[in-house]
Amino acid sequence: MTNDIDTLPAAHIADVTPRHLAPGEVGLVAPRDFVYNKPFSFRSGQTIPGFTLRYETYGNLNATRDNAILVCHALSGDHHCAGWHSATDKKPGWWNNLIGPGKAVDTRRFFVVCANVLGGCQGSTGPSSTNPETGRPYGILFPFVTIGDMVRAQKLLLDHLGILELHTVIGGSMGGMLALRFATDFPRFTRRVLAMATTGRESAQAIAFNEVGRQAIMQDPAWNRGDYAKDAGPRVGLAIARMMAHITYVSDASMDRKFGRRKKDTAANDAYTFDVQFEVESYLRHQGQSFINRFDANSYLYITRALDQFDLAQSHGSLEKAFASVEADALVVGFTSDWLFPPEQNRQLALALLRAGKRASYAELSTDLGHDSFLLESEELYGLVRAFLERDQPYVFDYAI
Amino acid sequence: MSKLVEKRTVDMQIIGDWVEPNTRILDLGCGPGVLLDYLVQSKKVSAVGVDLDLTKITACVRRGLAAYQGDMTAFMRTFPDKHFDRVICSRTVHELGDPTGVILEALRVGRTLTVGFVNHGFWKNRIDMLVRGRKLRNPVYTTEWFESRPANPVTIADFEHFCAAKQIRIARRAHLAGDWHSPCNRLPNLFAGYALYDLAR
Repeated sequence: MTNDIDTLPAAHIADVTPRHLAPGEVGLVAPRDFVYNKPFSFRSGQTIPGFTLRYETYGNLNATRDNAILVCHALSGDHHCAGWHSATDKKPGWWNNLIGPGKAVDTRRFFVVCANVLGGCQGSTGPSSTNPETGRPYGILFPFVTIGDMVRAQKLLLDHLGILELHTVIGGSMGGMLALRFATDFPRFTRRVLAMATTGRESAQAIAFNEVGRQAIMQDPAWNRGDYAKDAGPRVGLAIARMMAHITYVSDASMDRKFGRRKKDTAANDAYTFDVQFEVESYLRHQGQSFINRFDANSYLYITRALDQFDLAQSHGSLEKAFASVEADALVVGFTSDWLFPPEQNRQLALALLRAGKRASYAELSTDLGHDSFLLESEELYGLVRAFLERDQPYVFDYAI
Repeated sequence: MSKLVEKRTVDMQIIGDWVEPNTRILDLGCGPGVLLDYLVQSKKVSAVGVDLDLTKITACVRRGLAAYQGDMTAFMRTFPDKHFDRVICSRTVHELGDPTGVILEALRVGRTLTVGFVNHGFWKNRIDMLVRGRKLRNPVYTTEWFESRPANPVTIADFEHFCAAKQIRIARRAHLAGDWHSPCNRLPNLFAGYALYDLAR
């Protein structure tokens, strides 16, 4: 800070300090690309000659290289989980409320890494990337990607960064699936796993919602079997998929609180049209429209397919067997109003870990915000995360009774 | 940072003496995990606690303990027979809605069940009831009836009657005097303030 600011009255500082420079924020951040130049084989048996993962890091790796926390994003998320890319950004990274100096995931103490998944479209290799064999986007020639494939690719990034073991892997929703997969597939490497609002396998209802989203995309003539130009494609289908999916991320109560039956001012004159009348309609349309500008329809197909295929129990015979290899301490967090990956499915994960003889905890937060509750600004959640990550030094018992 | 020091209580010490090292322990109603932490540190047990309250679970997690937030009976139903070497129900039994259900389920998933409770039949309690004719209020029973969770006033005689009626074997018992410190060897239902039992089927 400059002397000028130091001499200003305190009340003034709040006005002149840009929010990204405020204490407790990671500030301005820049993404980087990890380029892996060797062939990468997918679970499906298909291979690509190499891949790129776009990622961000906050904080510093310590000398023993064991203070790294990997943050795994959800379906439509990306590598930008904290800080701002520029002073004019409208919003910080998607988990900025959790991550930063002094926050629940304390970047003064931990080296935080977050990467866009393989198959994604925010800078990592996926169906919108150029297929070196054809010189055109892969489209649906891109190999089918699984949660396990995403995890293996991110492990290569972590190796590249010189990380010897993960202090913790954290994720919500699909990110929770990746986190669990890290614990089962890299047991020595993964010391703690914190999975929120997630599941060991999706229910029929969750698969059904994903299928409607995929159909909305694939039935849009502009999808053209996945072959479309970068700035074109099934924009209508993708927007509809997002509108519907968005409903599954919130709850009846939270939507009602936010919108109720309030109508748009413009709707007052004529109730007998199919134009936007209710605020909730306008909100969903906005969600759909903003999504098509940042997300690739083919990536949406690939990633939702990966979510549907994810089944820890099936791949090992049972959840307990799937967790047999786990060495990490686990904390699973469910949210009462989450009807996409409900508390029961989260509880099952913790119970299976315990039956497998692992150290696992289950906590449940009462919220009415639905599936997206894991992104909630909640002191209870922060306290829980901090307790799991930092832990007090051992309590000393006074044996003189 | 100063060290976090906690008092070990006599009932903790007795339970600690009964617990075999390196065994698998389940604590029903674990609270903030003080007993489990003590057992982990002194007996190297592998432990999990169950509690309904998020703040208690957070406190356990902060101690590095495994803890499960939810209903204890529902929790136990998901485990195979004799999964735990010992189930502990310390200072919880009087608050159970279905004590028989919980205790029988605990004896299914555990080889041994340790129960610790305050003896409601302690002589001072009896006199207090006789003289005042009102709900007990003292350093043990701190709340008015309308501020209390529903509780069963369990006595030592009641508890032993329950074990006989359900054909539960009492493998060990320990009775502490009104100070919850020195042993009580005489007329425990009258003179003991605190009771500990080790049960098996």
